[in-house]
Amino acid sequence: MTTELTVNGSPRAVHNPPMTPLARVLREDLHLTGTKLACGEGFCGSCTVFVDDEALASCLVPVGSVAGASIRTVESMATPRGPLAPVQQAMKDTDAVQCGMCFPGILTSLTALLDENPRPDRADVETALVGNICRCTGYERIVEAALGLGTETGAGA
Amino acid sequence: MLTRHRDTASSVLHRPVTVAEAVDLLADGSASVLAGGSWVMRGEIRGDGFADAYVLVSGLPELLELRRTDDALVIGAAVTHAQLARFLAGDPHLAGLSAAARTSANPAIRRVATVGGNLATIDFAAADLVPALLALSARVTLVDAAGERHLALADYLASRPDAAPGALLTQVTVPVTPGLTVHERLTMRVAGDYPVAIVDAHVRLDADGLVDEATIAVGSVEPVARLWPSLSSRLVGAPLDAGVAEATARELAGELRGRDGVEAQGWYRLQVLPTLVGRAFYTLQQETGQR
Repeated sequence: MTTELTVNGSPRAVHNPPMTPLARVLREDLHLTGTKLACGEGFCGSCTVFVDDEALASCLVPVGSVAGASIRTVESMATPRGPLAPVQQAMKDTDAVQCGMCFPGILTSLTALLDENPRPDRADVETALVGNICRCTGYERIVEAALGLGTETGAGA
Repeated sequence: MLTRHRDTASSVLHRPVTVAEAVDLLADGSASVLAGGSWVMRGEIRGDGFADAYVLVSGLPELLELRRTDDALVIGAAVTHAQLARFLAGDPHLAGLSAAARTSANPAIRRVATVGGNLATIDFAAADLVPALLALSARVTLVDAAGERHLALADYLASRPDAAPGALLTQVTVPVTPGLTVHERLTMRVAGDYPVAIVDAHVRLDADGLVDEATIAVGSVEPVARLWPSLSSRLVGAPLDAGVAEATARELAGELRGRDGVEAQGWYRLQVLPTLVGRAFYTLQQETGQR
């Protein structure tokens, strides 16, 4: 089955069974490997992408259900030679990144939070990240970076 | 006849544009309903596998309706938890339902998981919306080849295992009546996992501050969420008191049968349930004090 999507602004056609998880299509067919496919249950958050501007766990989204939708992955946040998005820069500035496995999902979840609530408090940030599991950092620097962004405008995706 | 496959490769996806078309596709029982996908897509991990065919209902306009009048809330079955939480934010009459929609699972799941999926998934014992809607005496609308029918949610839950295939849950109607509502859940972590137990209550006080009506529902303790009528009736006529509510719940907890699960054993669910009832009534007490 052919499914037409807009991925990071470009029209794409993928050829998969319709119940194939969107995360698998992004990684294996479109080679957008920033999106991770880890738990496959929507618990870890490493596959979080934007589908029509909603940050979703793409492991739980059948590709056939989002035909015609606009998908944005972590790769859309910055070009290889361009500046980082503010949320990415904040993580770099606070030295928040360790292994990086969870970070595409964390960046997406935080972008969704900051789009909706540009000045989150600590509880808002922690609540926004309950579905993003990080085994390295202990979260503190990630939360601090996000709180620092709350004083600026536009997280940018 | 519904057959299952180990992975997603063999499943067909139908995309009806009307409820009538969806009902027609579901009529012979060979296809399953697909709404948000948060339960269906984990079929491989659970070992349930996947159906031959799915009928995608998440885009049907009738199932996306969300409206509030003075005396009722109508929720389309494909409305997500996140949409419901946004819609109910600050609604003083539906604080319990709002909390259930706002705190279940995690944000990314709340943006896909639907109200109808919570109610229709027989094996999902820990669904937050089910006890919240039970406590509010919600009714569901089902559409099948014979037409439309309406059932009390409690009756719908009881009917699910033996229901004939082909019915589509399209709407939930919640009567909005005076009173206070609360949703309390206990998780092993602070958030993001399945609750060990859930308590919802809808309480109306009389002019003297005594409990005039109470409807209490319990989720995640037994395999299916249920009302707790004996506890509700014991609390009527008494002051709103968390200690009394907890002690009465402890006395009556033997009426329930705790289910064993990976996050908690049945005895533990029963052990914490009265404490959760006490917390729910403490929250109601606090709210009464603020009014």
